[in-house]
Amino acid sequence: MDVGTISIVLVIGLVILLGIGMPLGFASAVLAALVMIMKFEPTLLTDPLSFGSGMLTSNPGTGALYILTQKIYDLMTEYVLISVPLFIFMAALLERSGVAKQMYDSLNFWLSRVRGGIAIVTSLMAVLMAAMSGIIGGEVVLLGLIALPQMLRLGYNQNLAIGTICASGSLGTMIPPSIVLIIYGLITETSIKALFTGAFVPGFMLASFIILYIIIRTQLDPSQAPLPEPQDDDPEGLEKARMFGGFISIFGVGVSVALLIRIAFLTLTGRNSSTEEGFEMPALGSTDHALYIGGIAVLLMLLIFFVFGKERSKLGWHHGKGLVPPFLVIGIVLGSIYGGITGITEAAGMGALAVFLIALFRGEASVDLVWVSMMRTLRSTGTIIWVTVGAAALAGAYTLAGGPAYIAQLIVGAEMPTMAVILIMMLILLFMGAFMDWVGIVLLIIPVFLPIVQRLPIEEIGFIGQLDPRHVAIWFGVLFCMNMQVSFLSPPFGPAAFYLKSVAPAHISLTDIFRGFLPFIGVQLIALSVLLIWPSIVTILL
Amino acid sequence: MKDVSGNLKEWIYPFAFVFCAGWVIWHGPAYILDFFPEKTPSLVAQMTELHERKDVSPGLSGLFGGLTDIIDWIALILVPITFAFGMRNMVIASMEFEQPSKIDTFAMFVGRITMILIISMTLVMLYEVFLRYLIEKPTLWANELTLWIAGFVFMLSGIYAMQQRSHIRIFILYDYLPRWGQHICDTLWVLLLWAFAFFLVFGSYKQVFIVKLYNWETFGTAFDPPLPATIQPMILITICLIALQALTNLISDWNKDPSELAEKDVIDQEELEAIKKSVGAS
Repeated sequence: MDVGTISIVLVIGLVILLGIGMPLGFASAVLAALVMIMKFEPTLLTDPLSFGSGMLTSNPGTGALYILTQKIYDLMTEYVLISVPLFIFMAALLERSGVAKQMYDSLNFWLSRVRGGIAIVTSLMAVLMAAMSGIIGGEVVLLGLIALPQMLRLGYNQNLAIGTICASGSLGTMIPPSIVLIIYGLITETSIKALFTGAFVPGFMLASFIILYIIIRTQLDPSQAPLPEPQDDDPEGLEKARMFGGFISIFGVGVSVALLIRIAFLTLTGRNSSTEEGFEMPALGSTDHALYIGGIAVLLMLLIFFVFGKERSKLGWHHGKGLVPPFLVIGIVLGSIYGGITGITEAAGMGALAVFLIALFRGEASVDLVWVSMMRTLRSTGTIIWVTVGAAALAGAYTLAGGPAYIAQLIVGAEMPTMAVILIMMLILLFMGAFMDWVGIVLLIIPVFLPIVQRLPIEEIGFIGQLDPRHVAIWFGVLFCMNMQVSFLSPPFGPAAFYLKSVAPAHISLTDIFRGFLPFIGVQLIALSVLLIWPSIVTILL
Repeated sequence: MKDVSGNLKEWIYPFAFVFCAGWVIWHGPAYILDFFPEKTPSLVAQMTELHERKDVSPGLSGLFGGLTDIIDWIALILVPITFAFGMRNMVIASMEFEQPSKIDTFAMFVGRITMILIISMTLVMLYEVFLRYLIEKPTLWANELTLWIAGFVFMLSGIYAMQQRSHIRIFILYDYLPRWGQHICDTLWVLLLWAFAFFLVFGSYKQVFIVKLYNWETFGTAFDPPLPATIQPMILITICLIALQALTNLISDWNKDPSELAEKDVIDQEELEAIKKSVGAS
């Protein structure tokens, strides 16, 4: 059977199988087998009794069908895939420790006198949590439990409160580390580290757009975000700024000391001096750096004692220390990835350990905490991985049948303007995102879309700046990730809404929640169009 | 405390099972040599060499004139015993599917085993990170052991997810169908899943069970774990178990109200209470 027919049957088959409610992973697995039959032994479909005589079936126990097992095996022994359960494990531990609440209190202390302060705090907190772990769900639940009651109590506009929580809570998969980018990287064989690096600027751009939107909206209509009653012991403007300066200085001293200890350790073990070929100096690890770092530490100490004052700094530290554990975890996870210490998988494991140790230090760790987190990990792993399993089989079979090349040829041959092709893809992704989980989309659609994008004339992509041909896959991955941001919020199945519903007061209906999302979806679309207009924003840090 | 999920027994039995099954799998060549010896002497010699390289208890002589020693036999016997005890002593957690049938305890205990594997995998990996980056004495085995355990975690979690009805499905159309229509759909997809399982097994059983498992194909590295020899058969076995589990789901859910079967809320009440307590929300 020719590849055109196979493709059409595949699309129709997928729609039917998903329509009857077959689990996504197994639907794609069945279709993988169907593609193999259509490709190698189509007579089996018209005449089932011929079983045992064709190319596939005459030789039981081996042959082309074994490719499917092989594809699944390749996926199962993919080292990076291990980071998925580890990141979930870490997030599960994080959810049940009090780290989040303390972080919220700290941020809230600094921003309590700012118009729309709690909404901004919510966004900032979401960004910090996003930089710690790479999944959504837990974040929306946590923010919904911590921030929503307080915003409603203060008389914040309900739509603003809801939208802020869910839009910010979804950032988990946009700001590295991100499970979406890990799976994307696996499927498309793109460097996951490069994807993470590429996603930094767009991720923080989206976060700042959200915060900017909150500020503009609350400035235009202050009644949407009433200020809380000032408390007696709450310091005023400049005093608070000084306290914050004190806190930052103490934090900076701590970081410097940690770095100095690291340099001492590296020097003792002789790992930062070598004459060997290909030796790479660990970042900020040489003895020369120690001088600068020590200098900064001394400077900060002087600031603490003579500019901000010892007492004030102490008070600032007391209010700000809730921010230390999150930064510690971020430092460990991202530092492991970018400091050349470990790979992504080990970084995820280190993150889980760090969160566990923090929980232990805070007296929250227990055998039960580990057990429940393990069960959560198991449940999420089973659902995510098995979509991947089915899709790996399908992608393998379809590639064997020449599918992706055929579709790419079809689109490129249609001679549509490049940006029109990309826009159509964006529409398809947004549409699919409204109905399907991101895992399904990355596994079923990306293997078809990416080859097309790679064959488009690169100079016609975007309007500002020129994308390097090597970075097309990275750009498209980040673009895809941004699309999925919208899909978390888009009705009728935006998962963020369901997570929030499970913790919101009963009088807030799903319709209310989705209504609150609308302006934030607009913000996300603006961020998406920035990526389209100026593609090389992704490569700024690369 | 006894009937709470996560009690001591819930830790011990899966752990004991993992330990025994791990022992049995590691000594796989010994069992193959004893129970299904190769025909040609050269192949027997090859396998014996492999066994001697892998043997962790080389001092012990084999029982019954074979290579399998006393520990191998005890481990082999304990594998089904620990599994049975584990199934009997399992407690359903609050986040789990509430109305399991008798057969479902199998899949749920598989879930418990997977949980133990998850924690073992994490610890092995952290041990390696510790050794490699702090003491600079990397092991040869930890990375591959992690990879090996992870393969089992990924596979087994699928059986558990099927029993928990938590595989990702799309309900847009399904929810609007009358109950008999849903029955037709469910039956249809379970049949298709069986068809896939059949084709996968039919298309690769010789490759998997003869070439990989029987010849005990290893990873070809210094530690040399039998990854192809174990993970590939696991793929076929898992697919079959998932198909079986789908069938038992179909039967046990036949007369239930669809609203009971909806996947449990994204977050369950007890879990919510725990989180609320940890964040200090009222």
